[in-house]
Amino acid sequence: MKHFFRDLCRSKAGLFGAVLLAIIVLLALFAPLLHLPDPTRGDLRARLAGPTWSGLFSPGAHPLGTDEVGRDILSRLIHGSRMTLMVASTAVVLGGIVGTFLGILAGYKGGLVDRILMRLVDIQLAIPLMLLALLVVAALGPSITNVVLVLALTSWIRYARIIRAQVLSLREREFVQSARAIGASTLRIMFLHILPNVLTPALVVGTLELARVIIMDAALSFLGLGVQPPTPSWGRMLADGRVYLSSAWWTVTFPGLAIVLTVLSVNLFGDWLRDYFDPKTRSAK
Amino acid sequence: MTTSPPVLEVNGLMRSYGGGKTLFRKEKPVIHAINDVSFQIAEGETLGLVGESGSGKSTTGRAVLHLETPDAGSVRFRGQELTTLAGKALKPYRREMQMIFQDPYSALNPRMKVGRFVAEPMVVHGTESGSALQDRVAELFRLVGLDPAFMSRYPHEFSGGQRQRINIARAIALKPAFIVADEPITALDVSIQAQIVNLFQDLQDQLGLAYLFIAHDLSMVRYLCSRVAVMLRGRIVEIAPTEQIFSDPRHPYTQSLLAAIPVPDPDRRRPPRPPFDVSRNIPPREAQMAEVAPGHFVLDHPIQ
Ligand SMILES: Nc1ncnc2c1ncn2[C@@H]1O[C@H](COP(=O)(O)OP(=O)(O)O)[C@@H](O)[C@H]1O
Ligand SMILES: [Mg+2]
Repeated sequence: MKHFFRDLCRSKAGLFGAVLLAIIVLLALFAPLLHLPDPTRGDLRARLAGPTWSGLFSPGAHPLGTDEVGRDILSRLIHGSRMTLMVASTAVVLGGIVGTFLGILAGYKGGLVDRILMRLVDIQLAIPLMLLALLVVAALGPSITNVVLVLALTSWIRYARIIRAQVLSLREREFVQSARAIGASTLRIMFLHILPNVLTPALVVGTLELARVIIMDAALSFLGLGVQPPTPSWGRMLADGRVYLSSAWWTVTFPGLAIVLTVLSVNLFGDWLRDYFDPKTRSAK
Repeated sequence: MTTSPPVLEVNGLMRSYGGGKTLFRKEKPVIHAINDVSFQIAEGETLGLVGESGSGKSTTGRAVLHLETPDAGSVRFRGQELTTLAGKALKPYRREMQMIFQDPYSALNPRMKVGRFVAEPMVVHGTESGSALQDRVAELFRLVGLDPAFMSRYPHEFSGGQRQRINIARAIALKPAFIVADEPITALDVSIQAQIVNLFQDLQDQLGLAYLFIAHDLSMVRYLCSRVAVMLRGRIVEIAPTEQIFSDPRHPYTQSLLAAIPVPDPDRRRPPRPPFDVSRNIPPREAQMAEVAPGHFVLDHPIQ
């Protein structure tokens, strides 16, 4: 753990990503304690008010401006991040559990199981993910659960492919043969000998997937298929604000910036994490 | 020759790799990794299995332990045929036969504490649990010359020799009757090799183990094995008591292996002989073993 932080501090990009991500997550976690204005209640006297930094701590201040019905944009951004982060991380964890398990199964069992699973992956890869997501959400109706499910559905294949490749080489390692020699069951070998050795790659895939899923979540809510109003979401803010782009730039700029910064921080941190766990780049240091 | 009954009888064992043409895959060339391999090992005996890299020694070991299914042939453990068994029926025999691998680094699960790793066979077979299990693991650690305090460490904290001791502790945990040791000292420092060989010897004396001891040169098997089998391209070409292999080698390949052992004393150096050309002397399929002396068999085939 000590080594982890020492290494992180040496990488400017990784550290930047980690700190930024930590700030975003902390803001989301402690949003209720920040005494922000109600993100769902508008102030009709202050519609499309521009960002003002004077009187920042007075009750009626809107540091990032307000939207077309007078709701505070800063408050909506922070409350929106709660939903985005929750939906995205649930989807990534769910996809990760399913994808890792199926990847281990395909890699270890081989044969027919492997062939069926990998064909499934190939077929799903041939369908554009966004189209798949649109179809599923349109068919099942937009709800948080459905969005999480569809995002997980687009995610599991990425885990499954990478984990399977890892397992193909692990399977030949002598400690796996040794487990077979003592008569350990297939389940025992998969969970006690293989799973602990693929957790690291699964974690790396997870962070990279998180960035992708955040964008996809925003895109779904931009199209009106994500979280339903009045609950704030970044994609929805972009969609609603784009009409006022020429007159009130802040309505789209800040949600756009929030998406970019979050994805950037996750990507930078994920890239560093991948290098950190890659024995080849590690031994080069 | 040996009076005690065999713990293991292997007859006509075959295993090939490759082939397997499917709709999406081209057929790979077929490699006959082992071909018509037969031998016996008595209770408490050590048979050496020697041959160059790729001659099929590891495949023999794995096929004997049913880690892979042989294409043909029979493996009998104390009279019970194993090749026809699968799954649950095989499990009781897993207690009796174990394997120690060549690479002590890849033989340990890097994410499992070594104490748990050594305990695993007993957990799988339900022979021991709770504090009795802990005591047994500590006893095994002492038996192979490791401090039981190391139990809660991970493999990366150990040297190659220590790792091999951990592997040995795991292999003997269920008090097996027979162990395949696949080049167990090849990857170790020369200074450690003798210690591990002594450990094998001590354990054999204490536990009455029989070994199939695999090595790639004859010098390693000399002091441990009562008999030696020499393997060439998947076939056993000579099998005899160790003294006879060293004093009266009959097959030219055995002779070339002997000539390759460095002899420090110049007076005892053997006269140089033309090197044995392996690629021109692949034993034909139909070649048979002939008994040239009691217990001394040689594969009978023309030599270039
Ligand atoms: N899993 C495998 N797949 C394909 N070929 C194999 C496999 N294992 C062994 N072989 C081949 O079988 C032959 C014997 O290998 P092996 O038993 O490992 O020899 P040794 O242990 O004597 O070095 C070699 O030609 C090797 O390439
Ligand atoms: Mg080998």
